[in-house]
Amino acid sequence: MTLTVGAATSDGTAAVAEAVHAAAAACTPLRLVGRGTWLDAGRPVRAITSLSLAPLAGIVDYTPGDLTLTAGAGTTLAEIARVTRAERQWLALDPFGSPEGTLGATVATTSAGPLAHAFGTPRDNVLGLEFVTGTGAVVHAGGRVVKNVAGFDLTRLLVGSWGTLGAITEVTVRLRARPEVDATIVLPAPAAPTSLGALLDQLRAAPVAALAAELLNAPLAVQLGVADGPALLVRLAGNADLVRAEQAALAALGDAAAAPVDVWDRLRACEPAGAAVARFSGPPARMAATWTHALEVAERWPGTAAHASVGRGVARCVLPTGDARALASALQPTFAGTRIFERLPNELWATLAPTAVADRLSRGVKRAYDPHGLLNPGILG
Amino acid sequence: MRRENVAIVLEDIVGPRRVLKRPSELVVYSADGLPSYRKQPSLAVFPETRAELIDVVRALAAIGAPFVPRGAGTGLSGGALADDVVLLCLNRLNRILRVDPANALAVVEPGVVNVTLTREASKHGLHYAPDPSSQAACTIGGNVAENAGGPHCLKYGVTLNHIAAVTAILPDGEIVRLGNAAGETDGYDLLGAFVGSEGCFGVALDVTVRLSPNPPAVRTLLADFLSVDAAARATSAIIASGIVPAALEMMDAPTVRAVEASIYAAGYPTDAEAVLLAEVDGLPAGLDADVRVIERLCMEAGARTVKVAADDAERARLWQGRKKAFGAMGRISPHLVVQDAVIPRTRLPEVLARIHEISGRYRVKVCNVFHAGDGNLHPNIGYDATDPDETVRVHAAMREIMQVCIDAGGTITGEHGVGLDKLEYMDLIFSPDSLAAMCQLRDVFDPERRSNPGKVVPVRACREWQAARSARSA
Repeated sequence: MTLTVGAATSDGTAAVAEAVHAAAAACTPLRLVGRGTWLDAGRPVRAITSLSLAPLAGIVDYTPGDLTLTAGAGTTLAEIARVTRAERQWLALDPFGSPEGTLGATVATTSAGPLAHAFGTPRDNVLGLEFVTGTGAVVHAGGRVVKNVAGFDLTRLLVGSWGTLGAITEVTVRLRARPEVDATIVLPAPAAPTSLGALLDQLRAAPVAALAAELLNAPLAVQLGVADGPALLVRLAGNADLVRAEQAALAALGDAAAAPVDVWDRLRACEPAGAAVARFSGPPARMAATWTHALEVAERWPGTAAHASVGRGVARCVLPTGDARALASALQPTFAGTRIFERLPNELWATLAPTAVADRLSRGVKRAYDPHGLLNPGILG
Repeated sequence: MRRENVAIVLEDIVGPRRVLKRPSELVVYSADGLPSYRKQPSLAVFPETRAELIDVVRALAAIGAPFVPRGAGTGLSGGALADDVVLLCLNRLNRILRVDPANALAVVEPGVVNVTLTREASKHGLHYAPDPSSQAACTIGGNVAENAGGPHCLKYGVTLNHIAAVTAILPDGEIVRLGNAAGETDGYDLLGAFVGSEGCFGVALDVTVRLSPNPPAVRTLLADFLSVDAAARATSAIIASGIVPAALEMMDAPTVRAVEASIYAAGYPTDAEAVLLAEVDGLPAGLDADVRVIERLCMEAGARTVKVAADDAERARLWQGRKKAFGAMGRISPHLVVQDAVIPRTRLPEVLARIHEISGRYRVKVCNVFHAGDGNLHPNIGYDATDPDETVRVHAAMREIMQVCIDAGGTITGEHGVGLDKLEYMDLIFSPDSLAAMCQLRDVFDPERRSNPGKVVPVRACREWQAARSARSA
């Protein structure tokens, strides 16, 4: 069953509060849904009733000179990109998956993409939000200005809480001006971890301030049509003088070639529906070791895509789910760093990552904002 | 437990020399950087090691004694003080435990001074980016508690964006690890909640900070204007242009004159109505193009002159005037109130005009020295608190200025924190349900509300929430 709330954002919030009140009275847990593009992410939710937040769509406030934008949680990233592009601005969040995903879902799941290299994740880009708690209270956190320490930081608490503390109804984000030049360079990357480490050291030392630096394994580089072996994609931006100097610096590191800027959109869309997605992360200086582990996992299935945000030390594997036992064995915790799963077959969560919220403080936070356990129960374990 | 007995318990842990009991010794600790608030702690304790700090917090938990964590006492919100509490002074926990240049991280104790960390990091070509004006004295623990900012936060972000992990001791004595310095995190962002919690959630035992590479090139510009309005319009134009200056600071005529009359004289033109201090940094290529754009935008907005600092010495002098502006005002008036509101940047010209009008109407001397690029205002008024008439006018003017900022879509504090000073404004911007949600978060970390009691959320909001909660559960 799907509950659908009213369309206009201000009324929409009241409607969400009403729906949560009704669910509390009936002891009916709710599955919060945006556009439904990431419904297969996270642990299985124990709820048969869905509350759709998609109707809370639309730009509430956008003053380009302030470089901030407030929108209903159901507004799609594509819509925000369209509106801000007209002012030569952008929201520097490019999570993997469809641009038809909503702002609310991006924030709730703290989904980020290659631009996190320069601009951070949703926690670094959200200035404030409105949410409805599991008791139906409407709470405002943060504000619409770029710097704000008024009160305890409920904004950070809600970002990445996967809808388990509140239904996010409205979000204010920081925007950036679009750079004068936006160019992408592809460099061949060595397959051997030791030579990769050397290349990454050179990249770190080079006079280059990239917007994104993403390592691709051979199958992904081929799929994107940028190289026939492992490759490093580097996105450069700024004024023409700067980008020209950076291109020259990268050319000194290897056989550099230009790549079309839409390669980033294609990278975001690279995974097939129903794939399992695992991220491995560690200190950036150990990127080569983290990458080696990611490749060991990916190479169990020839042709599988893997990529890594090298400045952040995060590798990401897109894996087929046909053979759950093989997947479980590939994802055993032999890795010394941090493993985070975006999507897994339902039956694997309990063994691979039963919970992300086991500690006392996390349980206390959940009890405080959703005492009846109504919101997305189970999604964080 | 009686005060004398609490002292004995604490002396058992840290020794008698590091527990202050006499009112004459404690008077130094009765205020922070904002002299208008005075509170008398019952004791002050100075743990010197992590083990001592843990023992002290656990002893206070066993006794049930309220306490206030304190770094260098440079805060500007009346945050690190309270009557009849144990002041937990962390400035002796000042060891840099580890610098990891390969990953641009450092692990420090909470009492490490901000600029000391940057000095240590500079051996590796790195620095700690948040640079509050008090950076020569303020501590990293205090920066974490306040989510401190500074001029260079315009480009590099505030404290929150530079903290990778914290090991904290909760008020009940439990030790928790928040965040993950070696990879990503999932689950709730408890680190994000802890940063900026103003000492109400517990005490940091160690902090893992992210360091930033020193920019290979820096250009600092000084533009002077014959009206505040023109400087405000230049600010808006620079922000809208897409250039992200490392810093963009404004000072008005009263501030400029105060600075130039002090030992911090920076060579600002004293006949200007406003000056803008702009800095761009990064790779050398392209920097001059940005400088030219900023110069052009300033001139188009009506700047009289724009000059670029010729060398590091001139750059340092231009910055010294800005960073010591509050100090320079101390020469002029015995008391000072300072605000910290943030407004949308397009509203700067209009709000500054309103502040000017309000200060004239109340016959008070407002100086404006602030982070223009962020829209973070610091209107401050020097006055003599022994003059009751002037004091009333100053506070009335301050309240009206705050209301103007809120009406413009702003917030009440951008980097100084709520502390005691902005408690009265909290319900101007947050609904009872929002304040209650903040109380609920505090109660997860500190259900007894013993750590920095009475700060951030007005007590009545918490009372109302508790009354509602007990009514619901009844």
